[in-house]
Amino acid sequence: MILLPLAHALVARQDLPVPAWLFAWGASIVLIASFFALSVGWRRPRFEEDGWRPLGAGVSRTLLGVPAQIVCGLLGIVLLGVGIYAGLHGTEAPDRNFALTFFYVTAWLGFPLFSVFLGDVFKPFNPWRAVGRCAGAAFHALAGQPATRLPYPRRLGRWPAAVGLVAVVWLEIIYGSSGGVAVGLSPHAAAVAAIFYSVYTLAMMALFGTEEWCRNGEVFSVYFGMFSQLGAFEARDDRLGVRRPLTAATKWAAVPGSVAVVIASIGTTSFDGAQEGALKIPLLDTFNWLADRGMNLTWALRGADTIFLIVCIAGIALVYLLGVQGMRTVRGAPPVATLRTGFAHTLIPIALAYLVAHYFSLFVFQEQAQFTYLLSDPLGTTTTDLFGTASGGVDYTVVSANAIWYVQVGALVIGHVVGLTLAHDRAVAYWRDYRQASRSQYWMLAVMVAFTCFGLYLLSSGNG
Amino acid sequence: MSMQSNTARAAVGAVLVAAAVILFIALSGGDGGGDATTAQDTTTAKGSAGNGGSKPAEPVIVVKNGKPVGGIADLTYNQGDRVRFRVDSDVSDEVHVHGYDIMKDVEAGGSVSFDFKATIEGIFEAELENRKEQIIQLTVNP
Repeated sequence: MILLPLAHALVARQDLPVPAWLFAWGASIVLIASFFALSVGWRRPRFEEDGWRPLGAGVSRTLLGVPAQIVCGLLGIVLLGVGIYAGLHGTEAPDRNFALTFFYVTAWLGFPLFSVFLGDVFKPFNPWRAVGRCAGAAFHALAGQPATRLPYPRRLGRWPAAVGLVAVVWLEIIYGSSGGVAVGLSPHAAAVAAIFYSVYTLAMMALFGTEEWCRNGEVFSVYFGMFSQLGAFEARDDRLGVRRPLTAATKWAAVPGSVAVVIASIGTTSFDGAQEGALKIPLLDTFNWLADRGMNLTWALRGADTIFLIVCIAGIALVYLLGVQGMRTVRGAPPVATLRTGFAHTLIPIALAYLVAHYFSLFVFQEQAQFTYLLSDPLGTTTTDLFGTASGGVDYTVVSANAIWYVQVGALVIGHVVGLTLAHDRAVAYWRDYRQASRSQYWMLAVMVAFTCFGLYLLSSGNG
Repeated sequence: MSMQSNTARAAVGAVLVAAAVILFIALSGGDGGGDATTAQDTTTAKGSAGNGGSKPAEPVIVVKNGKPVGGIADLTYNQGDRVRFRVDSDVSDEVHVHGYDIMKDVEAGGSVSFDFKATIEGIFEAELENRKEQIIQLTVNP
């Protein structure tokens, strides 16, 4: 018999499952908050206008001026380069190599968090955008005219980003298998993937234009940008400004494929949370079933994981679409397509809550490694010590298990409340009649309660 | 008045959804979440592979052909407890308790004892480092 071992390439510590009493409290608070939200509902939309106003010109010049753009762009390119180099030439021990922690913890988990508080911070650091803009400017200077671009197909929208998002997670948690054993992604494979992605992205930028591709297809721009919609800071035409929090999210999903992006985010996080708890047994059964039918063990494991990753995404999509169909039955409802995109942004806080709930401890612990030995010894040679921090380590006692539990459950509860708030606001914008609007919200309430309780369930059933 | 009946209906709906979710959890928890229940139920140290017999305080994990007999041993403690166990191995390797980062060599046919304080909360693996074979799942509850 082959057991699925635990795929913990990076951290030596896993979270304890949330205890039953905290689960019960979390679920109760969610229900009470939901009940309260329905009874205090406001009747005019409050989040449709963003009220953006610029900050001082000096701040904008300093933070968004050409020197800052050059510094940030270069930093992005250098860090991507270091990551790829470390992956190709450094140790194959995943936890001692700069590449994996930098790509999948510092950037992949860090940017969503920072984007919420600071705005779209990935944009200036985006290495591909920096290269694309330089290439565009160089072409303009040499040819005397801007490069001609293909018009980006409107209907394609953010679909390439949604597919790319699933691919990034698939690579991280599913690809790294060997002979029926989940060994985690190797640094080398991560670097090769980064090279492929760079080539693909630069090609797409050449075809459709740098900014156009960043708005629609570039996975990281779209994904991190989605979380920045919740926050208060936004740059417009080289001017940094402040808007009312949450307001930008109400416009975000108008681009086709946005629903898919947010659902892919929740679905992939769910799978990662469930694979060693709730889905452990079904995964093992599917793996054995595939292996018994002669599939080689590596692909049997990848196959089983892939099937359940798709099941998770489909499940999340199904719950959301059921909610949309439900709202459709309320008198005075706009067309289904409008409802489907119109409520997609209400899931962004849920996606963020899932991220925090599942990766908070990983981020806290692994960032200690990032800024100690991985920074001073990016290749994991054990002989390099660039900044004198190579002997540092991870202190697993900086946050207690109790603190982690409260952050996890707290994130889900807050995400739930913010999601409900956005949904209610959108409903009173769509339905002229307040009573119909609140009736439509039984459905979104059911969707949110389902997602939040599912998130709590994942935490309580052994979170990878 | 209609507001109130709306809210009441919404509350009923929410309760129904929650009840369904909790029921689902209760049902699936029975057969699926084996890990979670054992972690909660056992508060004192126990070694599932303990066949030493004489001293129950020190669970013994027997390694045969480089694999733990009876599967990965679950050891559960509370924070501050003294963690003690012994590994009897028929292969030469290094036993590595992750997180606590304690490493001890074991000879083929030899045994090695561990004795340390459970200071870090969480779930940790102990493995035969060279074989990358997990032999213990160490749970430290707060």
